[in-house]
Amino acid sequence: MRVLLYTGKGGVGKTSLAVASALHAAEHGHRVCVLSTDSAHSIGDALGRPVGPRPVAVASGVVAQEVAALAELDRAWSEIQAWLAALLRGDGDEVAAEELLVFPGLEELVALRAVRDVEATGDFDLCVVDCAPTGSTLRMLRLPDVLRFFMENFFDAKRRVARLVRPLASRVGAGRLVAPEEVFDAAERLYRDVESVSQILLDSERTSARLVVNPARVVVDETRRSYAYLCLYGVATDAVLVNRLLPPEACGGYFARWAEREECLLAEIAASFPVPLLRAPLLPAEPIGVEALRALGRALYGERDPAALFARGRPIRLEKNGVRTRLCIELPGAEAADVDVVGRGDELLVRIRDAQRRIALPASVAGRPIAAVRLVGGVLAVDFAP
Amino acid sequence: MRLVLYTGKGGVGKTTTAAATAILAAERGRRTLVVSADAAHSLGDVLEQRLGPEPVAVAPGLEAVEIDARVETARHWGHIRDFLVRLFRHQGVEAVVAEELALLPGAEELATLLAVEGFATSGRWDFVVVDCAPTDSTLRLLTLPDIARRSLRIVLPLLQALSGAVVPVAKHLVRAPLPDSRVFGDADALVNRQLRALQRRVTQRETSVRIVVTPERLVIDEARRAWTELSLFELGCDAVVLNRLLPESAGREPFFREWASRQEERRREVEELFAPLPVLAAPLQDDEATGLVRLVEHARRIFAGREPHALLCESERVRFARDAGGYVAHVPLPGADPRHLDVAKVDDELTITTGLRRRSLKLPRRIAGCDLVSARLEGASLRVGFRPAAPPRADCAGAA
Repeated sequence: MRVLLYTGKGGVGKTSLAVASALHAAEHGHRVCVLSTDSAHSIGDALGRPVGPRPVAVASGVVAQEVAALAELDRAWSEIQAWLAALLRGDGDEVAAEELLVFPGLEELVALRAVRDVEATGDFDLCVVDCAPTGSTLRMLRLPDVLRFFMENFFDAKRRVARLVRPLASRVGAGRLVAPEEVFDAAERLYRDVESVSQILLDSERTSARLVVNPARVVVDETRRSYAYLCLYGVATDAVLVNRLLPPEACGGYFARWAEREECLLAEIAASFPVPLLRAPLLPAEPIGVEALRALGRALYGERDPAALFARGRPIRLEKNGVRTRLCIELPGAEAADVDVVGRGDELLVRIRDAQRRIALPASVAGRPIAAVRLVGGVLAVDFAP
Repeated sequence: MRLVLYTGKGGVGKTTTAAATAILAAERGRRTLVVSADAAHSLGDVLEQRLGPEPVAVAPGLEAVEIDARVETARHWGHIRDFLVRLFRHQGVEAVVAEELALLPGAEELATLLAVEGFATSGRWDFVVVDCAPTDSTLRLLTLPDIARRSLRIVLPLLQALSGAVVPVAKHLVRAPLPDSRVFGDADALVNRQLRALQRRVTQRETSVRIVVTPERLVIDEARRAWTELSLFELGCDAVVLNRLLPESAGREPFFREWASRQEERRREVEELFAPLPVLAAPLQDDEATGLVRLVEHARRIFAGREPHALLCESERVRFARDAGGYVAHVPLPGADPRHLDVAKVDDELTITTGLRRRSLKLPRRIAGCDLVSARLEGASLRVGFRPAAPPRADCAGAA
């Protein structure tokens, strides 16, 4: 099953284009599921009909679903929550505890488990995901790294300590403070879930991100950074969708300067993203409902099949050249001053501005000293000494 | 020191509005700082300048900063970080720990608030403007002091008691060092000093939230919910900015006729829904509003005759009053949906839930002993009635 992730800055039209793509793909004969992982769901608003956490058929060949991430999370965390509720016993404030518990990004990531479930049904060959705005999406992508860090460094130690102190703690009347075994089991299960979802995200043959932009300076700037972050986290982008281009009949009069600016920005977008650009015009009214969105899908993809893989790329790859091994990471648009690389045993820490990733190194280079780091033509090359 | 925070749905123009506000205030002689608190920073893009985690001058009287949660966490969580570093020294994680800590739930919000508090108390500025992340994150940010204080107040003493009893024993059993009381001391200081200071900061009269909307259905609905929830936590709003209105000349063009006709409806709707907040109308510019010159022009249109740093509307606070034979609490809840409202008295606290958010208000001692007898929405506020407890009975009541 092919997975398409629609993301971009807030307000650019991610949802409209995601649903439009789903409808258009169905016209190409695909069996499509479109789902939203943004807690501020708007698939239903775009379609002009209610869509809930249960899949509903919205058009021939298209099923839509708004994943109730908090409910999913409740299920996954129920043991942990029960423990916390006991901890805060009598306080009547479980909501506060839950809110403190939710790691930034966890909600979206748990929502993405729905992709796995969609695949498991065997009923679909395309899953279109309407993601949260860039900030949340980046937190989501970073989460597996963070959880791995906590699991590896704290989890076993805590579990060991908990086993040792539990009998003692209950004797001093503090038993409810020490998490029971089930809590650790639940945490471990959740962690495994997150790992399995991130495997789907990182499979570049199957999963592609599609970045939605508007022809506006600030949007393009942010999206350029997001593109580099997506690469850093290993998610392949196969197209950039430029939404709300002024149609020729709207380019005169008041909008003459916007139209002029659009020309320059389009050239810049083309130069910034080495993937195909697809374009969709600004419409005379908000595109709401199946018909309007289907038309938008046609305008966007033309004869193309939305499910196709528009660009093949592996953002992170290992190249061998004689005795020298080089790890290449695509970081388009990144500047050398923003990039920070640290080798640490079997992993590599790479940071660009707001994003940081711990990349697990293959055994062949793990622990080897770094001979050189270079950023040339938007590619970060890390050479390991033989 | 005046503090103004801008929030709203993604893509409505929060950053542009925040930057414009700050520039105009600086031009009018206020020493101003504009802060980006959205992890996906775009303040630098709008100002067309490179910004970082330390304030830099961008115009006379104006400085700008993009908060980096990692830097702030490292700055504020000294002992906790040191402890973790000691714990994992053998694995060489010194460099990482602060950054991973910044990703704990609530840590980013806490770090952001601490940074803003630092700016507010520095004495370097008269006016601090914060460009927040979209609505939901803003609410998480601003309600954090209230929620964290409540949770920590219960957990910390227990943890400390436990560490006193258990840690000395456990230390011999596991090789890793366990938290010593200094770690708890740090956390305690956070509870007692910092969180209280933060809560005072976000709820005081000198601090206002401004909600940015565009004339679109979805955007307005989300803003309205945000206003209710902000009010519940006594985070005062003093204006709504209605952004991207098509100017008349643009609305006359055939292509935009439908957009223009919708917009008038929406504008009236915003004025009604958000009364008594003033609605500051900002037209769509004939070019993207970036750079100082265009931004100041944009700000003049938004504020017209008003001062950007002024308190544009007083907001209601929670009030307790005597009422024939009992007491009454008035809680401002503009736009609350009675179907999603739940009110209960638990021990000495009044608990109010709207949709997904809940606040527990400590009741004055006189009222704490009373029974909750009524709760109903009256205009923009919730009126909760109390009567002295007579014979023992259930002390909960549903919302009207």
